[in-house]
Amino acid sequence: MEQILANGIYLGAQYAMIALGLTLIFALMNVLNFAHGQMYVLGGFVTYTFYGQLGWPFVVALLASCITLAVLGALIERFLFAPVIRRSSREESTMLLAAGLAFFFDAVILLVFGEKQRGVPKIVDGVFNWDFRLIMPYDRILICVLAILSIVSFILFMQYSKTGRALRALAQDRTAAQLMGVNVARYSMIGFALGAMLAGLVGGLLVTITGVNLGMGGPTSIKAFMMVMIGGAGVISGAIAGGIILGFLEAIGLAVLSQYGDITYLLIFVSLMLFLAIRPQGLMGKPWG
Amino acid sequence: MSHLLEVRHVTKKFGGLTANSDISFNVNENEILSVIGPNGAGKSTLFKMISSFLPTTAGEVLFKGERISNLKPHVVARKGVVRTFQETTIFKSMTVRESIIVAQHLRARASLAGYFWGTKTAHEDVDSFGQYADDLIDFLGMTEIANEQASNLPQGNLRALGIAIGLATDPKVLLLDEPFAGMNHDETMKMVNLVRKVRDDRGVTVLLVEHDMPAVMNISDRIVVLNFGEMIAEGTPAEIQNNEKVIEAYLGSADDEIGI
Amino acid sequence: MIQWAGVVIFLLAVFIAIPGFIAASGRSDLYYTLTSVALLSIASAGVWLTFYIGRINIGQGAFALIGAYVSAVLVTKAGMSFWLSLPLAGLFAAAVAVVIGVPILRLRGVYFAMISLVLTQVVTLTALALPITNGAKGITSIPLPGGVSALGLTLIPDFATLENPRLAFYYAASVLMVLTFAAMYRLVNSRLGHLCRSMQQNEELASSIGVNISYIRVIVFAISSFLGGIGGAMFGSIAQSVYPSSFQVADSVNFMLNCFLGGLGYVFGPMLGTLVLYFGWDLLFELGRFQLLAYSSMLIILMLFLPNGLLSLRLPGKKEADK
Repeated sequence: MEQILANGIYLGAQYAMIALGLTLIFALMNVLNFAHGQMYVLGGFVTYTFYGQLGWPFVVALLASCITLAVLGALIERFLFAPVIRRSSREESTMLLAAGLAFFFDAVILLVFGEKQRGVPKIVDGVFNWDFRLIMPYDRILICVLAILSIVSFILFMQYSKTGRALRALAQDRTAAQLMGVNVARYSMIGFALGAMLAGLVGGLLVTITGVNLGMGGPTSIKAFMMVMIGGAGVISGAIAGGIILGFLEAIGLAVLSQYGDITYLLIFVSLMLFLAIRPQGLMGKPWG
Repeated sequence: MSHLLEVRHVTKKFGGLTANSDISFNVNENEILSVIGPNGAGKSTLFKMISSFLPTTAGEVLFKGERISNLKPHVVARKGVVRTFQETTIFKSMTVRESIIVAQHLRARASLAGYFWGTKTAHEDVDSFGQYADDLIDFLGMTEIANEQASNLPQGNLRALGIAIGLATDPKVLLLDEPFAGMNHDETMKMVNLVRKVRDDRGVTVLLVEHDMPAVMNISDRIVVLNFGEMIAEGTPAEIQNNEKVIEAYLGSADDEIGI
Repeated sequence: MIQWAGVVIFLLAVFIAIPGFIAASGRSDLYYTLTSVALLSIASAGVWLTFYIGRINIGQGAFALIGAYVSAVLVTKAGMSFWLSLPLAGLFAAAVAVVIGVPILRLRGVYFAMISLVLTQVVTLTALALPITNGAKGITSIPLPGGVSALGLTLIPDFATLENPRLAFYYAASVLMVLTFAAMYRLVNSRLGHLCRSMQQNEELASSIGVNISYIRVIVFAISSFLGGIGGAMFGSIAQSVYPSSFQVADSVNFMLNCFLGGLGYVFGPMLGTLVLYFGWDLLFELGRFQLLAYSSMLIILMLFLPNGLLSLRLPGKKEADK
């Protein structure tokens, strides 16, 4: 029981961070970022390079992941998404662009890092063991704490900083925000950069535990979509709730149903579909986003 | 005259908020009845419940004695009670004629598969749709804009297009959602004449929701007045004009819509 | 008249000129490429149809996989003729679409897109979990389609006895493709197509004129999935094997891309989009490791400069009218 709870918190915290980035980008620009999982993988590879290969301190490597992805996000918004949104007669076109980007990142990762699974040395050794009721390696605990701290600081940032307030205004109503004097182009870019940075940060954190490989991008995106659907698209609290719920479902499923193989995810999918049939906008979403 | 449409004790609550409370009135065949009230009086909520676009919390709406509330919108339309929308709700990338042809869905006799295979009935339907569309376009005086794409039309025409789409279904009762909103005096008078013509020449009973007082006074046979979700008066335009409660409600709202 | 001439030229090209050219040039590998294009465009046509009612469908891979498995199971386990299993595969996919569609088609916009994307994963996992689909090992050694004869006349020869089954598959796939697009054209220009258009533009208004929108949505989704099932079943028969990974999320995304690229306003858009994307991918094979990079860059650049699809080139000034 304690073990499941701990695993749920651990999974939920990282998932929530992934979902947060996705939902932020969606809320700001109405873009469904298919490349989110790839951004996460990219973040993992940056940390792998700096920490695993070059032997720099982990914190510096993590920072490098954040900065790389933030810059990348900003560039993508400015030079790809913004022009396409301007020129296209339907908003779905951004989805195609995002899909193209997902392929593009996959290609870049393939060329630069190859197909192999990559891991890094443990950041801390040892295992926490409470009477065999709860066993968790220290590095997982550390990553979990870091993830929770990141989520809390993200919320505080969105709530109290000037940038955060502008972003929230933008997410709520683009036109109104513009009338209030928010520089829409600038904050769209900042928001996208922030979303990408979150993906990079989780990637950097998790590379220390699960390692990283090329194939993780797509499934990560799918999980992120599910969390966003559970919580409601474009809502920050929804993304966190979705992440935690999915984390717990997975932890419970793996503990209870492990002998049936991949059936956990099947059940999660089916229940998600039933849930959405009753509540299409998710737990906390506005109807139709 | 018999009651064509009966609104019986209709109530709508959103959470703790009561949008409509125990509203009852009747609409007679071939009359034009308006529901008026200041902004926020619950007019559009009531309108949506009559057309089954919203479920009622309590009460029911009857058409020819049959319940039409708490159904699906298309079922209500099938029974002959059809609503219009305000101007933004149109088929944007269809022409006026195409919109009217599509809107004759309820007049179709062939099945969807029949249209696919091009059966005789389907061909007859298609011819009749075209003819009916041309008649209707002529009737509404829209010949000049018949082949214009809806998104290119000016506002005034959009409203008429909305009514044309509604009429194409061959309804018994037409529910009009604020047909005069945002119109100047001339446009309003044109619309008043159009609605009257629809009733007189096509025998369509009209229930409309509106807050433009002068137009409502001009067009209605009877008026129902709502305020804060409650029905405060019902009667002929002359009766309503002299009703103290109504005057108070409209003065109290300090709105610029007072037109009495 | 011009339209009919176009159709005739197209048919001549598909059934005579292309096989002739391939025979002359000896590039029989092109058969496989073109057969794939034909089958993928059938599945893409289904996706296009769901776009036509205003739903972004990124789940066609799920139905292609279902179709492939149903046909494979029927042929290998029940010994059924492939030609009978083909429509059954389509119908089974359509039936699944009805069951799934009733709840999820109520979702719109990004929500539907996301849940449809998840569908592919669900079917893959189901295929892994069920005994009848043989888990990760998949179903292999599916026999080639047998012959069909009636009244002593051979309608379809037994593919296994043919000298060149590739050519036979090319013809079969092309016939299916032509039938699909003829039906699509007819459908879009018939009443159902008009109703779809009305729903794409405004579902509330459509329901106010008496259109049973939830019924039409399910019908359209079923047709779409039927096409996905047919395409998938045929693919499985060509590959003579089906695995849970035969159709993945990336394939579902590709079906969507084919439609976008061809242009959502044109019935034949999916065909063109599939041709361009598949050939583009194939031509880039020369680039080796850089294939995916070049392909995705091409996609991004296309989006940047032609965000409304390839066929939008034909109609300059149309964009203004759409606004």
